[in-house]
Amino acid sequence: MTASANNTQDERLPLKGIRVIDIATVIAAPYCATLLGEFGADVLKLEHPEGGDALRRFGTPSKRGDTLTWLSESRNKRSMTIDLRTAEGAEVFKSMIAKVDVLCENFRTGTLERWNLGWDVLREINPRLVMLRVTGFGQTGPYKDRPGFARVAHAMGGIAYLAGMPKGTPVTPGSTTLGDYMTGLYGCFGVLMALRHRDLTGEGQFIDAALYESIFRCTEELAPAYGMFGTVRERQGSSHNDFAVPHGHFSTRDGKWVAISCATDMLFARLAQAMGRPDLAAPHTYGEQEQRLAHRHDVNEIVRDWCGSLTREEVLQRCYATDTPAGPLNNIADIFGDRQFHARRNMVAIDAPDTGEQIIVPTPVPRLSETPGSIRSLGPRLGEHTEEILRELLGMSDVEIAELRARKAI
Amino acid sequence: MSATKTDSGTTAPGASRPLDGVRVIDVGNFLAGPYAGTIMAEFGAEVIKIEHPQGGDPMRRYGTTTARADATLKWLSESRNKKSVTCDLRQPEGVALLLKLVTKADVLIENFRPEAMESWGLGWEVLRAANPRLVMLRVTGYGQTGPYRRRAGFAHIAQAFGGLNYLAGFPGETPVLPGTVPLGDYVASLFGAIGTLIALRHAEQTGRGQIVDVGIYEAIFRILEEIAAAYGLHGVVREREGSGSFVACPHGHFRTRDDRWIAIACTTDKMFERLAAAMGRPELASAELYGDQRKRLAARETVDAIVTDWVASLERQTILDRCLEMEVPAGKVNSIADIFEDEHFRARDNLLSLAAEGLGEVVVPGVVPRLSKTPGRVTHLGPTLGDATLAVLTGLLQLNAADIAALRGKKII
Repeated sequence: MTASANNTQDERLPLKGIRVIDIATVIAAPYCATLLGEFGADVLKLEHPEGGDALRRFGTPSKRGDTLTWLSESRNKRSMTIDLRTAEGAEVFKSMIAKVDVLCENFRTGTLERWNLGWDVLREINPRLVMLRVTGFGQTGPYKDRPGFARVAHAMGGIAYLAGMPKGTPVTPGSTTLGDYMTGLYGCFGVLMALRHRDLTGEGQFIDAALYESIFRCTEELAPAYGMFGTVRERQGSSHNDFAVPHGHFSTRDGKWVAISCATDMLFARLAQAMGRPDLAAPHTYGEQEQRLAHRHDVNEIVRDWCGSLTREEVLQRCYATDTPAGPLNNIADIFGDRQFHARRNMVAIDAPDTGEQIIVPTPVPRLSETPGSIRSLGPRLGEHTEEILRELLGMSDVEIAELRARKAI
Repeated sequence: MSATKTDSGTTAPGASRPLDGVRVIDVGNFLAGPYAGTIMAEFGAEVIKIEHPQGGDPMRRYGTTTARADATLKWLSESRNKKSVTCDLRQPEGVALLLKLVTKADVLIENFRPEAMESWGLGWEVLRAANPRLVMLRVTGYGQTGPYRRRAGFAHIAQAFGGLNYLAGFPGETPVLPGTVPLGDYVASLFGAIGTLIALRHAEQTGRGQIVDVGIYEAIFRILEEIAAAYGLHGVVREREGSGSFVACPHGHFRTRDDRWIAIACTTDKMFERLAAAMGRPELASAELYGDQRKRLAARETVDAIVTDWVASLERQTILDRCLEMEVPAGKVNSIADIFEDEHFRARDNLLSLAAEGLGEVVVPGVVPRLSKTPGRVTHLGPTLGDATLAVLTGLLQLNAADIAALRGKKII
């Protein structure tokens, strides 16, 4: 684990020169801005003067009050307060829009339009603007006005139904913010393409990203299988055995868990060897996927018994020795002790300004060989950069700024 | 059937697409990496899928089988818009052929184990010498570096390693799969596509290509909000939270009288106040009772029980109508059958119906995200093995009939 934010690579940041306004809240659209910021974009986080982004209160508070999620995910951003509902605030915002490349927002459908800051108005000000609009259900369709949160999107998009024990209560698919991050990723993919189009043609556009769609798009053949055969995939607990056996989670003697996944006959032969039971992979026993699928309970039972007789480390070492796809179900304590995470520098400890706390955060993904992303600062204090931004971007004087403050526009 | 019968989804076939003119060579198998090619193809990139002449990508045989031996439904949906060219990379002449293609491409996608490409004479130095502007996307379970880089890594293993699978399920019980979907493959590919577009931009500005290196495990780890920071600072190990959430209450899945499920997510006090009103029990949101998130979290079992009882007393549609009327964030826990009936999926063209050779119509998910000026589209489903071999070798590489016959004779293509 390295000990400070990485300041050395600024010159090589590939999105240097791109300016982004992030007026969104929580994770989905803001994460798109975070990604752009890691690769060098100048991200201006615009927040309501009273309390700012709700992400500042979502999760574990730091000594400063802002949560750890805020500190981590608002990395590299500059914070400015502004109240878009005041006439002065809206004017300042419009002046800023003229000078930026990207706007990320996630108000409910129609909100910006109600404030007279919709796409048609903003496009008029800056025809080159790329605008990411994230909502639970999208800008169109019958549910467009419903409030959308990731949990509801997981449910709507079909993944919550698939997580849990067969016939049991559907569970959270690992993380309540999965759909937020996935939408941030799809949104960022869209923004980068729209920037490319803009550079070629001078024409901006908006991207309409819906939380539920990001989830549904990643359900592989769920839709085609229902469309062709009427198959409704159900919850399958800890093993997914529609196509492959064994393929799931198994508990070990020391009360831990491993994942084993034998998608092909070759991989099962390796597992059988790891188990010291090469006979299991013979043609007349379970050598073929078809036989294993037909006898999935027996095969899973054999693997379960074997895993239950050894510690997690023993199971994994034997699997690795024969190149069987297997791995631990890591909790965060396991991750902190893991050599691979250390070798890849997947975490970095950064001193939080003002609090004396060391905040350990995930480093940028993906890893670019020539122009890697970087963390140059943690999430800013509310309004930390208001004056700096107004001076730098709009050339405002102290008097003008004081005026805006007096009117509670910033 | 609610799918849109169209070959284009949301736009006229002639509209420009933002990745028009970008050529991608995809030598990967299955989804992790190749899915980045899939979404680039939806937005106009020409994606040439290189497959082994004997059988091709194993994803052709993984998943729900169809009347065609060369195409599962997963293959048909997720290899959309690609062209297939056969080429055996384990033979020197296949390697030479790939290098020629690389000189005419912008992006190469691969997901072999680290050093496999190198062992065939297709390492980064060789590729960069052939095309200094090349962007190479490499997706593996554990990334290109570190002690585990050579381990076999599939989505479920890498998701477990990255920390997601530990978190799915009820506290103290068996960790379940977070949705029987290879999430890790998709998430890693999304990161890969973003890295590829950033690297392409850099290559176009400077003439220098580079490698985009994604480990599936780290793509998953990256999206787990504050679990690293909370463990680092306070030693808190996040555990499975069942159908709920540690930071908000009520926030979970509840069973309705007709034995279906709905999701309710009261992230803030205001949302809970609306829910209390929807339940006809506004007093629950008073300051003395459960108006404050901290009080609800402290009395989680009681609050969840009240909501559970209310939901169980009514049918799913009634619950949903009452929640939506009060603007409570709530929604059906949809099965795929529910999704096919849903008017919103239909209105947004989320289900497309395309013809597949010999199979009739196949319904697949539409394009995400939705761009207003240059939308993506699905032109065709996963190709037959080698459908573009002849066209690419003659058109792009200018090989003649004799060259091609010789390559076929040696089983290079």
